[in-house]
Amino acid sequence: MHFEVQYNPAHSLATAHLSPGESVRAEASAMVSMSPSLTVETNTGPQGRGGFFTKAKRGLLGGESFFQNVFRASGKAGHVCLAPRLCGSMVVHELSGQRDLLIQGSSYVAAPDSVDINTQFQGFKGFFSGESLFFLKASGTGPVLMNAFGAIEEMELNGEMVVDTGHLVAFESGINYEVTKAAAGWISSFLSGEGLVLRMSGRGKVFIQSRNPSEFGRTVGSLLPARRG
Amino acid sequence: MQYKIEHGPSFAWLKVDLSPGDELQAEAGAMVRQEPQVEMSTHLNAGRHAGIFQKLWAILVAFVRKFIGGETMFVNRFTASQGGQVVVAPSLSGHIVHKMLDASSRLFVQTGSYLASTGAVDTKVRFGGLRTLLGGEGLVLLECSGAGDIWVNSYGGVIPIEVNGSFTVDTGHIVAFDGSLDFRVKSIGGVKSFLFSGEGLVCEFSGQGTIYVQSRNLSALVGWLSPLLPA
Amino acid sequence: MQFEILDSPDFALLQLRMDTGDEVVAESGAMVAQDGQISVKTNVRGGLMGAAKRKLLGGESLFQNTFVAQADGQRLYLAAPSEGDMQSRDLGPGEEFFLTSGAYVAHIGKELQIDTKFGGVKGFFSGVGLFMLRIVGPGRVFYGSYGALHSVEIGAEGYVVDTGHIVGFTPGLSYKVRPFNGFKGLFFSGEGLVAEFQGEGTVFAQTRDAASLASFLHPFRPVQRGE
Repeated sequence: MHFEVQYNPAHSLATAHLSPGESVRAEASAMVSMSPSLTVETNTGPQGRGGFFTKAKRGLLGGESFFQNVFRASGKAGHVCLAPRLCGSMVVHELSGQRDLLIQGSSYVAAPDSVDINTQFQGFKGFFSGESLFFLKASGTGPVLMNAFGAIEEMELNGEMVVDTGHLVAFESGINYEVTKAAAGWISSFLSGEGLVLRMSGRGKVFIQSRNPSEFGRTVGSLLPARRG
Repeated sequence: MQYKIEHGPSFAWLKVDLSPGDELQAEAGAMVRQEPQVEMSTHLNAGRHAGIFQKLWAILVAFVRKFIGGETMFVNRFTASQGGQVVVAPSLSGHIVHKMLDASSRLFVQTGSYLASTGAVDTKVRFGGLRTLLGGEGLVLLECSGAGDIWVNSYGGVIPIEVNGSFTVDTGHIVAFDGSLDFRVKSIGGVKSFLFSGEGLVCEFSGQGTIYVQSRNLSALVGWLSPLLPA
Repeated sequence: MQFEILDSPDFALLQLRMDTGDEVVAESGAMVAQDGQISVKTNVRGGLMGAAKRKLLGGESLFQNTFVAQADGQRLYLAAPSEGDMQSRDLGPGEEFFLTSGAYVAHIGKELQIDTKFGGVKGFFSGVGLFMLRIVGPGRVFYGSYGALHSVEIGAEGYVVDTGHIVGFTPGLSYKVRPFNGFKGLFFSGEGLVAEFQGEGTVFAQTRDAASLASFLHPFRPVQRGE
C-alpha cells in the first residue's frame, strides 16, 4: 500500500491506496471518504499494546480519541481518504528498520501493519490545559503518515536546539531530549507564553510544524462561548 | 540581523539570525525553536518610553484581556551575545509581512496582527472606543513608530490595497494601515443593518495610503463554530 | 462585472470589480472590504421563514446582503468564515445544484433561485442544524469549503463520504445515510455518519470538517462559573 498526499500545505488530504489483501490502520475520525468495497474493523487499542489509551486519553491534546480503524481491501483494490482535524500538511516518513521514529501523539495519522506503534508516554503536564507531552514510537518497516499543524520542516539536527513543545511533530530515536521550563522561573515561563520547551541534542531528523495547536486553541478557545465543565 | 519568511503564504514563520547587540521583540508564545545560546526575557509591552501611568494602564489592559481573551501585551525579547538563530510564528494560519519603518513613519497594526519588531520601533496601544476594550470586533490598534523593522501576521491571505478616495473594511479583516489615512469606525448602514447584516463593525478609510487586509476573520470563525459546540 | 478567486485553495478570497448597476447577493458576514461607492441592502432571504425554527449554522443567518455598485470600477471582496477554498458554478436555466447551507457564499444573477424548503436530503446532518440548499439557474453561485475542495466523479461502484465532509453534489445521484461502522461520534450527533452515493454525477467534498475543529477547541473554551 502507499500514501498519496494532496493539497499541501494547508488542506492536506492523504489517500491510502490498497491492493487486494492490504490494510491500513487509521484513527477512526480521520476518514473523509472511501471505496465502498473496503471492510472496516474498529479496534480500541494501538498496535502492539492495548488498554493504555483510556488512561492516556485524558492527558491528550484536544481530547484526541485514538480509536483505530483497520481499513482492508479484501476482494478488489480500493482506497481510503484521510484527513486530520486541523488545517496543515501531511507527510510520509518511510521507516527502513534502522531508526525508530518518535511521534507526538496528536501528529500520528495512519500506518500499515508492518509498522509497529507503541506508546511511550512522557507524562508532563504543563500549566496550560492540553500542554502535555505524549509520544508514540513507530518501528519496523513501511510508511508512516503524520500530520502537522501548518507547514512542516524536516530538519537535520547536528548539535543542539531548543524547540517549543507545541511545534514538535516527530524525531528519530537516538536524539536526546530534555523537557524544561522556557524561562528561569515558573512565572516568567507562564508570562512568556512558552511554557515547556524541549532541549534536543544529537544527530538525526526532527520534524517541526510552523503552528502550535495549543496557541491556536487558546487564541480561538478564549473567544468561544463558555462550556459547562 | 538577517531574517527570512518561510512557509508562506499559508503558514509563514519568521526566521531571524541575530548578531551580537541585536534585539528581536516578539509577542508572547510565538517562539518555535531557537539555538540554545539565544537568551529570552519577558516584558510588558507598554511602549518604550512609558511613564508610570502608561505602565499601569497597560497592566490593566493586559489583565482585562487575559480574562476576556485577546492579546496579552506581554512580549519576549531575544538577544544573542555570540549570535544565534530564533524562529517565531503567529498562532493563526496565514502570512507574515515585513515593513521597514523610519523615524517619520506611522503604522497602525491590529493588536492580534503584531508579531515582532526590532530597534527603536515603539508600539503604543490605541483604542477605538470603550466597546473595543471588551474584545470582539472592536478596533484595538497598536500605533507603531520609530526606525526599525516590524513584522505583522495575517489570518488567511494578506492583500495590500492602495486607497485613493474612500474604502471600507470589516474591522476583523484589518491587519495594518498607513498612519496617513483617516479612519472612522462605524456599523454598516445604520442600526438595523448592524443587528441583521452580519457585518459587525466596519472601518471607513479616506485619504491616501496602503491598507493590509486579511482574508479571514477570527470573529467570523467564532460565529461559524459556536452553534456546533456542545453545552 | 469581473470576478477572480484569489489565494485558492488555501484562503480563497473572491474579488469582484463592479460597474454602475452591477449587483451581487452575499451571505451576511461575507463582506471583507469594499470601495466607497457600493450600496448595501439587507433583506430576509426568500423562503427561509420556515427555517427560523431550525437551529442554524453559525454565520448562516436568515439575512443576506445585496451589494449594488453606484459607480464604475468598484471593488468588493467576499470570503467564507472557514479556512479553505472557494469555487463557482455557472448554472444554465433550470440547472440544479445541491449545496450544504453553510457552504453558500454569494451569487450573481437575479433569476437564480435558492430553495431552502428542499427537504429531500434527510439524515445528513441530524441535530447539527445544517440543511441542503437546492440551487436552480440561471446564474452563478459561489460556494466555500473548510479545507480544500476535492471533487469525486461517482462511478458504477458508488462512493462513501463522511457527511461532515460533504459540500455539494450534482443532480442524478442517490444516497443512503448510515452510521460509520458503529462508530458514534464522540461529541456530536451527525459525527460518525456516512453517505453512500450511487448514480452518475460529481460529489464535492471538503478536506476538513467543522465538527472535528469544534471538538479540538472544546477543551480550550472558558468554563462556566457556578451560580
